Amino acid sequence: MSNAQDFEEKERERKARRRVFYLIFATLVLISGGFLIWKLRSLILPIIVGALLAFLFRPVKDRFKLRWLPHELQVLCSFAAIGVVLFFAFNTLRKHIPDEEQKLEFKVRLKYKLNQKYRQLVAKSPEGKSNVVAPFIEKEVGPLMDKINQAVELSPEERDLFIKYCAGYNGKPPIQNKFFDYFRANQNTMKYVVPEKASAHPAAPQAAVAATPTQPPAAEEGANLEGKLSVWVLAPLIFVFLGFDNGQIRRFFISLVPNRYFELSLTVLDRLDDAIGRYLRGTLIECFLVGLTLAVGLIILGIPAGIAVAIGVVSGLLNAVPFLGTISALVIGVSYALIAENIRPLIPGLNPNDLALYVLILVVLTHVLDDLVFQPFVLGSAANVHPLVVVIAIIGGFLIMGLWGMLFAIPAVVVVKTVVSTFFKELKDYRII
Amino acid sequence: MSPQKRVADKLLWETLGRWKRSSPELDRIQFLKTVPFFDKLSNRQLKSVSDIMFERTYETDESIFEEGQPGAALFLILDGKIAIEIRRDTSTTRLAVLEKGAFFGELALLDEAPRSANARALERTRTLALYRNDLNGLIDRDAQTACQIYRSLASTIGDRLRSTNELVQMQTPADTAGPG
Repeated sequence: MSNAQDFEEKERERKARRRVFYLIFATLVLISGGFLIWKLRSLILPIIVGALLAFLFRPVKDRFKLRWLPHELQVLCSFAAIGVVLFFAFNTLRKHIPDEEQKLEFKVRLKYKLNQKYRQLVAKSPEGKSNVVAPFIEKEVGPLMDKINQAVELSPEERDLFIKYCAGYNGKPPIQNKFFDYFRANQNTMKYVVPEKASAHPAAPQAAVAATPTQPPAAEEGANLEGKLSVWVLAPLIFVFLGFDNGQIRRFFISLVPNRYFELSLTVLDRLDDAIGRYLRGTLIECFLVGLTLAVGLIILGIPAGIAVAIGVVSGLLNAVPFLGTISALVIGVSYALIAENIRPLIPGLNPNDLALYVLILVVLTHVLDDLVFQPFVLGSAANVHPLVVVIAIIGGFLIMGLWGMLFAIPAVVVVKTVVSTFFKELKDYRII
Repeated sequence: MSPQKRVADKLLWETLGRWKRSSPELDRIQFLKTVPFFDKLSNRQLKSVSDIMFERTYETDESIFEEGQPGAALFLILDGKIAIEIRRDTSTTRLAVLEKGAFFGELALLDEAPRSANARALERTRTLALYRNDLNGLIDRDAQTACQIYRSLASTIGDRLRSTNELVQMQTPADTAGPG
């Protein structure tokens, strides 16, 4: 009897010791983990991107899961398939990326056409009367036009280069004469808003002088860029290592779970995997559909296929951030519509001069189609997040991590929402809470 | 080939063979071969199953699952003893005591229905758990193996249903057996 009591007493002491040990160990892990995360925070984003890519491309890997093929070969085959598709995609896109000559030509055309449209807007009638809104446009849009003109202005080196290209340079045929005329017309473009004398403040040069020393030297910038690039090497590495994982990571984490929560953790992990996978892949399909709709719509409106596809790809990819896809499609599409020439819409009866308006209608239609058809059809309830939460999350993401924060805000909200709801439901089902 | 090189080669292959034979993975496959649930599977198929199983160790009196919890996995006893019990108010009825090679919780492979009894370790017990969704995943990768497991499962459930029917028939009075 005394032996049994002694044993029980020792067991009780052991349990108490174990509890203290676990507490100290957990505190140490939390402190050191927090310290490491803070110190290595620049690695977080590449790791997340690599992991997300591995997660997105897992169905491709699963396609190669053939029982006669060793796991390593399955992974290599899936990488090869992804590589081939990406190679052809980039090769096709590269053809539509403007070269030096096209960039110069684009800048010249953009400046000329924008100013032409602006002048048409504020022009006085032959009787000398200006329209009612002209003064308002002049007041509000004039400064903006000046800024745009400044932004698309060719530098002296670019001007020399453009003149060379006009005569044929670097093995390229000469640029059309009308673009040279645009270039000359651009030289005579005046400022729409005359700066007030008060704005020529004597403090301005001082500020400029004061700002100069804060500029980082080129070597420092180069080192920063190198540092950032070396950190991003992690993303493909994580992608490759997760690609080769055959359930070992999941097995490891499950092995850490106490027996009491074993089945619960399996179920929760599975539900999360399913929900997040559905959301991410659904978003990818939704982006593809939005890009495709825009590209096809722009081709129908008469915009060259290469440009239409490029606008579709950019806007489709940016559509991963709510509103950003629509805004980018609007800005790029309307900008191109304003400078486009020799447009022949495939739908008879459309006036090419109203192309900007048609692009605006197309973008709005695509947005409505995305909201009413693509999202409910592709995503279902996977991303059932309140619009207010979406807006707050995007702004919050931007404040914390800039553009990357905007991109990851909604996936993060979906992950947290799924984790919390699944975890609580399963904890209740397993009668733990 | 020189005699020394031949001896060295032989030694190398013997060492490799011993290392391979003693690997936990091979031990697990050998064990699975002895379980009636998997007796129709080939070595390759057993490896596929072994790869998706989780080994868990339970201490004496530790609960494996409780009545009413959603079922997620089938358990195989590697070694040790398990009691299957049901609790009603204050009393506990022991339905069975299972030992090495036995399996329990097999209905969890079909759906998420709540467990119908408690499972508790009577001594330190090692188990292998087969999670339902991992078995579902095996259907896509190796349909033949998954199909064989489901056949064994159907056969087990059929056997249990037959024995339950017999038990019910034995306990039912002859006059209420049906219209004669």
